[in-house]
Amino acid sequence: MSPPVDNPPLDAENAAFIRCGVMVSVASRDASHVASLSRALGCRVAPDRRRVTVVLSASQCETLLRDLRETGTVAAVFTQPSTHRTIQLKGTDAALGPLAPGTTALVDANIDALVKDVAPLGYSEIFVRTVLAYEPEDLVEVTFTPTSAFAQTPGPQAGRRL
Amino acid sequence: MTLTVDAIRECLEGNIPSLVATCAPDGTPNVSYVSQVHYVDGAHVALTYQFFNKTRENVLANPRATLFLVHPTTFARYRLAATYLRTETEGPLFESMKAKLAGIASHTGMSGVFRLLGSDIYRVIGIETVPGPVVPALPPRRSLLASLRAASQRLNACTDLASLLDEALDSLARVFGVDHAMVLMFDATAQRLYTVASRGYESSGVGSEIPLGQGVIGVAARELTPIRISHATTEYGYGRAIRAAAAAAGMADRLETEIPFPGLPESRSQLAVPIVACGRLVGALYVESTEDRRFGYDDEDALVALAAQLGTGIHILQATEGHDEAPAGAAGRLPVEGAPVVVRHYAENDSVFLGEDYLIKGVAGAIFWKLARDYVNEQRVEFTNRELRLDPAIRLPDISDNLEARLVLLQRRLDEREAALRIEKTGRGRFRLCVRRPVKLVEVAPA
Repeated sequence: MSPPVDNPPLDAENAAFIRCGVMVSVASRDASHVASLSRALGCRVAPDRRRVTVVLSASQCETLLRDLRETGTVAAVFTQPSTHRTIQLKGTDAALGPLAPGTTALVDANIDALVKDVAPLGYSEIFVRTVLAYEPEDLVEVTFTPTSAFAQTPGPQAGRRL
Repeated sequence: MTLTVDAIRECLEGNIPSLVATCAPDGTPNVSYVSQVHYVDGAHVALTYQFFNKTRENVLANPRATLFLVHPTTFARYRLAATYLRTETEGPLFESMKAKLAGIASHTGMSGVFRLLGSDIYRVIGIETVPGPVVPALPPRRSLLASLRAASQRLNACTDLASLLDEALDSLARVFGVDHAMVLMFDATAQRLYTVASRGYESSGVGSEIPLGQGVIGVAARELTPIRISHATTEYGYGRAIRAAAAAAGMADRLETEIPFPGLPESRSQLAVPIVACGRLVGALYVESTEDRRFGYDDEDALVALAAQLGTGIHILQATEGHDEAPAGAAGRLPVEGAPVVVRHYAENDSVFLGEDYLIKGVAGAIFWKLARDYVNEQRVEFTNRELRLDPAIRLPDISDNLEARLVLLQRRLDEREAALRIEKTGRGRFRLCVRRPVKLVEVAPA
């Protein structure tokens, strides 16, 4: 069942949560239902919260980009490492698009926030900056309409629809 | 080059969370964090099943999964294509994942949230290195193969059980840099492990006991599998194990806690390896550290190999101890003087007290009582392993009696307590009771 028109699955509070200081992971699948997976570098949420854009390094996820192009199915997980707070968004209309102005600044802000967030957990700055290292010309954007959102903070409540 | 799981198993230490992507029958993908991806062998991994979640629902219908792993020091990224095979809910793999999960849970503030329901086993179809920068790997602090070779040669040179045990612990310290270690022997009749040698503790704890199945050591021994924990956890702590053991009251149980277990109070990394010889549990080798993540997969491999050699050595040296050699020349006896020492024996559990001090119980207690009786009644001080085996009062089990290990235990307890009665080896399968004060025997019959 599609969500009511005036009530996108991504509420204002969760939209604010995924905008900065989160580890982003993105999955899709191919025609034979084999999943593909990669880490993303950051995300952008449209003002009406109906469109979400994740940023990927193309050279690191060729299979994922192929699957997103061919099937449009997408699952994206957003986690704040310090709190384990995690949500997952799913959609069926993922599309690759050109890099919007300001995307590298958005990615850099997310990485800087993550460096601060994980430091108390004992993870070094070099860890975050290596795992999320990118070349600006390698970045691609994938935009989709979230059709469902799930709480995924570890525990028995994980998987609850938001 | 095709990678095997062995080549990237450091990624499976659980330091950096792993990801798994699966696909539902309707074609909807799903991404989930995995608390632990566990190394099974070069072609298999196991994932923790803690809750019935979307990942599990998906793989039961469509077994293909994709994993994303990060190396803990180089931060290299790997993608694994895998197929779900089956779930195990008991046995060695399950227990070793359960213990490791307890450490991860405690480290990440998830104690009480993470509970293992099963080990989901996957076959790894392919491993892909994700392009991108990495941090150069640091050289290892030592070559574990070179360490193992050195330790192996040291063990090979030992000719009696006591020196074999000491050499094993000494090698761990000098060659492997492991400063806190102990060897426990398995008592099959009592289903317990007792400490026979230790190194790096305030008190040796020789004679302290762990019930089979309790804590890291007891689980490793029961499941015949190494148990390794990389972070402090209360779940496998020995305070808890020992309290549980003492819960059932009665003198025997109180005595079990009489000799404190010599573990580190601030232990952060623990590794227990079963010692097996000829397919039978002989005991356990246990090492620990105040550092987090002190022991990795390679340390575990090295200690398993060392424990195998230790097991063979224990087996051979215990077997050859039974062969009598010509008696050593009668030593000049020390003068027996001073106030008598009262040796009290409780027949109920063969516990022995010297004066008011608890010495030992069980088989080692029965052995000591025989020696003390023979000394008082017949003025005998020279004994053989063979006669102990034949003495019905000692009630040695028929197979794998560990007599020599019990004598080492008894000798060390007496030495540590600076007792007026000591035992010393006089040859293979022979030993002498050294008495420095008059002895008075008190037998306490069962109530």
